[in-house]
Amino acid sequence: MNLITAESLTRAFQSTVAVDGINLSIKEGVCTALLGPNGAGKTTTLNMLTGLIKPTGGSIAFDERYHGDRRQYIGYLPQFPKFYGWMSGQEYLMYTGQLCGLTKKAANERAEELLTLVDLAEAKRKRIGGYSGGMKQRLGIAQALVNNPKLVILDEPVSALDPIGRREVLELMKKLKKTTSILFSTHVLHDAEEVSDDIFIMNRGKVVIEGGLAELQTKYQKPTIYIETEEEPDIWCRALKKKEWFRHMHLDKKQLTITVENINTAREELLADATLHKLKPLRFEVVRTTLEDLFMEVAKK
Amino acid sequence: MRQWFILFKKECLESVRNFKWLWIPIVFILFGIMQPVTSYYLPQILESFGGLPEEALFDIPVPSGPQILAETLGQFSQIGYLVLVLAFMGVIAEEKNSGTQLMILVKPVSYGAYLTAKWAHMSLLAVTSFILGFSFAVYYTHVLIESVPAAHVIKGAVVYILGMLFVMTLILLFSTLFNSRAAVAFLTLGLTIVVSLLSSLMPNTMRWSPGMLSSHAYSIFGTGEGGEAMWLSIACTLLIISVMVGIAVYIFRNKETASHSS
Repeated sequence: MNLITAESLTRAFQSTVAVDGINLSIKEGVCTALLGPNGAGKTTTLNMLTGLIKPTGGSIAFDERYHGDRRQYIGYLPQFPKFYGWMSGQEYLMYTGQLCGLTKKAANERAEELLTLVDLAEAKRKRIGGYSGGMKQRLGIAQALVNNPKLVILDEPVSALDPIGRREVLELMKKLKKTTSILFSTHVLHDAEEVSDDIFIMNRGKVVIEGGLAELQTKYQKPTIYIETEEEPDIWCRALKKKEWFRHMHLDKKQLTITVENINTAREELLADATLHKLKPLRFEVVRTTLEDLFMEVAKK
Repeated sequence: MRQWFILFKKECLESVRNFKWLWIPIVFILFGIMQPVTSYYLPQILESFGGLPEEALFDIPVPSGPQILAETLGQFSQIGYLVLVLAFMGVIAEEKNSGTQLMILVKPVSYGAYLTAKWAHMSLLAVTSFILGFSFAVYYTHVLIESVPAAHVIKGAVVYILGMLFVMTLILLFSTLFNSRAAVAFLTLGLTIVVSLLSSLMPNTMRWSPGMLSSHAYSIFGTGEGGEAMWLSIACTLLIISVMVGIAVYIFRNKETASHSS
């Protein structure tokens, strides 16, 4: 069941086409990542889905079961959430809760619940002006959830955070995944791989690759062998290029990364190679690449 | 309607916390007191500054009560409007530029309610400040000079308030149109001055205009009756205000909320 379906969605600004006829289908109960380099059109796409920007072409349809204003069913965290600095965290959540139609009492309860969820219960009476970046981000997530949305849209939720804040938010997203659908944008592939089920990779306003994470991984991930030696391996490794399992190689001084076709044959042959033993190997490791190569390839185009 | 009230309450709370509800009324009260007091003590004030030259052999007449009240309104129309414009020139632009607006309008909030709540709040603050300031003016006029019939005062004040609402609506409209606060302030003050100048220069062609309202108020203070065609200008002002609010809402709805990031 698709929560949101966008068909040939287009948005042109005066001189540039930020989003160029993309098709998106966001499934219910799934965490979807919109991945792409900076300037790929991710924010514009998300803003169109929320209704903050009007598309210049194409259509957006929300699940028919949820009729009326689709803003009712969406929670949104912009890339740079800005709050009223003079309000306290609790006041802000109550304000937004009431705007979403909760009664004062219900909004208060919901605010308490969310403040505990995002671990801000202690700072709830503090003015938001005095919050740290990570706290603001967590409050941003809390306000996106205030109306129990069917779909939570997060624009670059972890990009501006330090490693600790980043970890906190990713853990929070994993928790949220169980109860609601998430659509988030990121330019960091690793984050997308960590929490999402579906991935859309965008570049220059177009969706270049889409699919389930597992599906993309089997399709694009290449088994790789990493070898580190004491001696320079560059003469030896030239010979490897002729092997039938060989695909690609990268040599950085004494660190050799070989992408292979068939991991088992490659491993057997390499380990049996007497020359390699003479190079005094320090490490021999079978690794799986992330989608990094794919992403870089797509982003470069 | 409940949502409108929540938005309205937030505006009030914000203005309380940034002290707009304190200093704007204080400005109006100061000018409300100053006008009758300085008029009454003018001879003594001149004396203390060295007096008039011998040749100036005329008496400074103590102005009448209605005259003082009219002069107070004159002060409000200059300093008062300036203060209000400076306080509210960013009423829409501020939230738009800072990005707080985005997070509210992505919630199921009516754009019209968002805008009219802001308008209602700034009008309430302006009118309250005016009533406070003008009450002081009336009181001191009563104590120092002469009392003006209460009915005249109230009628005149109501007519003047309408003119104030016109200015507040101008701020709202320009604030929805332009992101620059300077532009909002400049256009609002400029247009207000132009309208009132035109109205005093050619009262016949401008008989419908909101700029006529203050002269009607002056005349009510004196005689209890507004000038010629007062109802025409009242009706036109009401119409202009509602049309401007309508245009502001229309523009606000159709203007892009989120800007294209680079």
